[in-house]
Amino acid sequence: VSPSTSRVPADLRLQRLLAILSWCADQDGPTFAEVMDRFDIGASQLRDDLELAAMVGSDSEDIADMPIEVVVDDGRVWVYLHAFQRPLRLTPDEGLALVATGAALQSVPGADPEGPLARALTKLAGVLGVEPDEAIGIDLGLPHGDTFTILRDAVTARRQVELDYYSFGRDEHTHRVVDPWRVFADQGAWYVVGWCHRVDDQRSFRLDRIAEVVPLDTTFDPPAQPPDLGLYHADAGGPRVVLDLEPNARWVAEVHPTESVEDLGEGRLRVTLAVSARPWLERLLLTLGPLATLVHVDDRLGGPETARAAARRVLARYRAGGAVR
Amino acid sequence: MSQAKVERLLNLIATLLDAPRPVTADELRRRVPGYPDAKTNFRRAFERDKEDLRAMGVPIRIEPVPLSNPPAEGYRIRKDEYYLRDPGLEPDERAALQLAAATVRLDGLAGAGALWKLGGREPAVDRSDELADLPSDPNLAAVFSGVLEHRRLRFAYRGTDRRVDPWRLVFRRGRWYLAGYDHGRGDERIFRLDRVDGPVEVEEEAGAFTRPPEAQRPLQLDQWEIGDEQPVTARVLIDPDAATSAIHSQRPGSASVRVVERRPDGSLVLEMDVTSRYGFRSFLLTFLEHAEVLGPPELRDDVVTWLEAIAAP
Repeated sequence: VSPSTSRVPADLRLQRLLAILSWCADQDGPTFAEVMDRFDIGASQLRDDLELAAMVGSDSEDIADMPIEVVVDDGRVWVYLHAFQRPLRLTPDEGLALVATGAALQSVPGADPEGPLARALTKLAGVLGVEPDEAIGIDLGLPHGDTFTILRDAVTARRQVELDYYSFGRDEHTHRVVDPWRVFADQGAWYVVGWCHRVDDQRSFRLDRIAEVVPLDTTFDPPAQPPDLGLYHADAGGPRVVLDLEPNARWVAEVHPTESVEDLGEGRLRVTLAVSARPWLERLLLTLGPLATLVHVDDRLGGPETARAAARRVLARYRAGGAVR
Repeated sequence: MSQAKVERLLNLIATLLDAPRPVTADELRRRVPGYPDAKTNFRRAFERDKEDLRAMGVPIRIEPVPLSNPPAEGYRIRKDEYYLRDPGLEPDERAALQLAAATVRLDGLAGAGALWKLGGREPAVDRSDELADLPSDPNLAAVFSGVLEHRRLRFAYRGTDRRVDPWRLVFRRGRWYLAGYDHGRGDERIFRLDRVDGPVEVEEEAGAFTRPPEAQRPLQLDQWEIGDEQPVTARVLIDPDAATSAIHSQRPGSASVRVVERRPDGSLVLEMDVTSRYGFRSFLLTFLEHAEVLGPPELRDDVVTWLEAIAAP
């Protein structure tokens, strides 16, 4: 939502106006520019909205029914309120938006437990009528160790890093030099996105699969454009798999990027997925078992025998060992 | 929303807010400019406005009009229910919240509106890159209102209708969970919000329960422990190459998985408290042939049986 455009959704426009009125009433004639900046509103929209507010109650015979007085003079705004003195209370989703994002940031290493964010969250909890931390817990799931702090510092200092990385999709360890552009969390996992000198391309790496990170002395220039955070760019010519999912396996379509989803009725889905490498598909099929039926799979991924072959490989371990070790 | 509608809603709120007595629909039709005169048209417009305002969080009450004869009902907004209590934020605190909202995105939730109500954007807050993206859920706001106001929730979950005292909302590993007391089961339960079927219904009564002190303890949420099954302790051997990701897959402070042995070749033996065979298997099979259940035999058999069914021609 970009609230500065004139096509602000209905309710937002009214809510913003109410917020502007009560804020201005508390100030000593703020400038027009300050109101515009603070509430992300254009000059003509602000003028319209203030005029509208000043007309409230004007149909009444009684001047006392006009709850809002607005004076605009010399580029400044004075508002006198006989109603609407305080903003409308926070709705549950607004309260949640503030508390959840604040608590999330507060959970990241390096957050000051007595800093302004912590104080703000305590005050908000008071307004919402709960103890801080009581109603909500946010854990962004940072992996153990100092991987996160080393990478975050490297991003800030623009220093290259060397990664010992376990590629889950391909099931192999690699060493690579990376220009770390950004560290971020998505879907419960942490990633560093940057330029990988091993493949000479942009890559994202999961922090929990970095066995070791070593900051280097060499520096790099970050890209002028912020990186696209799309985690997985399906290669147009890359292998595909088509699966029929039972109702209990519908989550697959929610957590993995799908190229197409077809409703087969009775809760079943037919999905097409782009697959990065064969081990990834093997894991999915072994986990799902009878909940997924292979409809079509590229020969590069093992063809129709993929799941059977993988299951036999894992089983071989159990037959070799036999007894409990 | 058109200019006319914003104006009408503002007039409607002004008329109802802190009104000395409930205002009847008929009075509203005459007093609030912008309503059609014809009664049926007015009704339709007024009902829509009422819905829009309630969706914004404006608490419109329906109350009997005192001394009216015949008895009539009217509308009113009570000041104490409408106004936001001033949290008394300092500029640096407001800026911190604003930065958090910009750094951590909560998909689809109204962060902007909330910040306006708290006094708008502080000038000169450093722009910051987005750090994390929290997914939203259609039931998130309803569940949170239940947690805040201590209202019971009703929803369908795994084919059963539940009635739950919502204690705490928790986000971890990319998912939202509700911890609370399940009246049907007579015990504490954890629900994954994305597995709730359909909308969550919030009961009327506020303050319907008190949150027990144990609601504060961290959720046990590793996938092998989200289940009701008889607990067993699994011993799992992880090969050296896969050891890094196995270590990282433990939650900090998790008691449900422990490294009990580090072998000279770099492999690990984990002990895990399992109450969900399905969750345990899903964890185990991500290692493909690089991990093996050492025991107990029943769990080992369970995995072998599962794999044999897949391996069967």
